[in-house]
Amino acid sequence: MESGLVVIEQSGVATWIRESGVLYGYPLVLFLHTLGLSTLAGLSSAIDFRLLGFAPRIPLASLERVFPLMWAGLALTATTGVLLFISDATKHASNPAFWVKLVFVLLAVTTLAVMRTRVFRGQQRGRILAAVSLACWFGALSAGRLMAYIAEFVS
Amino acid sequence: MNLAHLHLLLNHFPTVGLGIAVGLLAAALLQKSRDVKQASFVAFYLLALAAIPAYLTGGAAQVALQDQPDATQQVMAAHQDAALLALIVMEIMGFIAWTALWRFRRWHETTVLVLAIVTFGLMASAANIGGHIRHPEILAEGAAAPVPGWPRTAAVGAAFILDNPWVWPICEVFHFVGLCVLFGVVLLVNLRLLGFIRVDVNGLLPWAMAGLALNIVTGMLFFLAAPEQYTRNPAFVWKIGLMLVAGATLLYPLFPARDEERAPLAGRIIAAGSICLWVGVIFLGRYLPYLGSE
Repeated sequence: MESGLVVIEQSGVATWIRESGVLYGYPLVLFLHTLGLSTLAGLSSAIDFRLLGFAPRIPLASLERVFPLMWAGLALTATTGVLLFISDATKHASNPAFWVKLVFVLLAVTTLAVMRTRVFRGQQRGRILAAVSLACWFGALSAGRLMAYIAEFVS
Repeated sequence: MNLAHLHLLLNHFPTVGLGIAVGLLAAALLQKSRDVKQASFVAFYLLALAAIPAYLTGGAAQVALQDQPDATQQVMAAHQDAALLALIVMEIMGFIAWTALWRFRRWHETTVLVLAIVTFGLMASAANIGGHIRHPEILAEGAAAPVPGWPRTAAVGAAFILDNPWVWPICEVFHFVGLCVLFGVVLLVNLRLLGFIRVDVNGLLPWAMAGLALNIVTGMLFFLAAPEQYTRNPAFVWKIGLMLVAGATLLYPLFPARDEERAPLAGRIIAAGSICLWVGVIFLGRYLPYLGSE
């Protein structure tokens, strides 16, 4: 496991992300990671607020059009997330905050998929799903933002 | 021109502008004119935005004057405390003025009027103290500059963050949460103006404003704790500049006819511009440590 992670982080792509300077490489990947996540989590939480009873006059069906945009955000965040992971694989793998974040993201995305099939087809009102979704995004954002601090604490 | 210079320009807007906006609102209430009242709310909101760079450039001026004698430092600290107090009340006023434009309630107009008058008093007092920093000619000979016993808002705020190591990371978390909520609703509302979503989503707009408010509060806490880290960073100056214009675009969706399929061309340009501006704000925020490291 350990040696596999070292091989990954010494690969060409990983080295490029780490060492290619100020304007592209690591900061650019980090920015795209933030942009993808804020698109996904932002739109998802806006839908959650609607399901929780704010702005009840917005018809749900009309919001279904933003799902492709959310999946695009997910794709961007996941791709850049893999790149960020391999740039420092051993450090991230040993950071509990990283795994906590990963679990929350998976839960949030699953909730969103379930929401689309159940709530948007009118089978249920989705208040509980919306609350779970908000909690998962909050957990994912917190764990992600605190990763750097917890990495320092762990080592 | 540097940021300290810009402070001398910007610091007149909150006081002078508030005087004009209060006059507008008073005239609107006397004449019962809905349009003039809305214009005054727009002015209050824009002034609340303009007060942010007035405060931030003050931080830059303070850093530029840090080699001045102790007496000057004391007056500057008192000026900063007064200005921060005024800024806090003014941002609350701007928030309520925006809410009044979103969905008007009777209590909005009196609250905005009262807060505007309180802000005006606080701003005038901050300006009065500020004038003494570099204008010794306005004092009687031999007199010391007045340093009133303001609550030490700025120093207390900075100490709270610096003495408690958990505050900064928590603020970072909430700054990110605020960003996501703001950006999600900004996307929805502007996609609606662009015709991509065919339904009025303005009901969710206050969440964008709540996200913006959360980020102004947490962002100000970062600035209070480490002003020199930001005032010397060109990425920060650009970020604030874009943020203010982007903040102003949050007024637009409140006005156009709601039942149209999509906004007119000018509106679609504003909507696309709004999305680009917020993406720019996120970009510069993410690049702060990388572009400002020189």
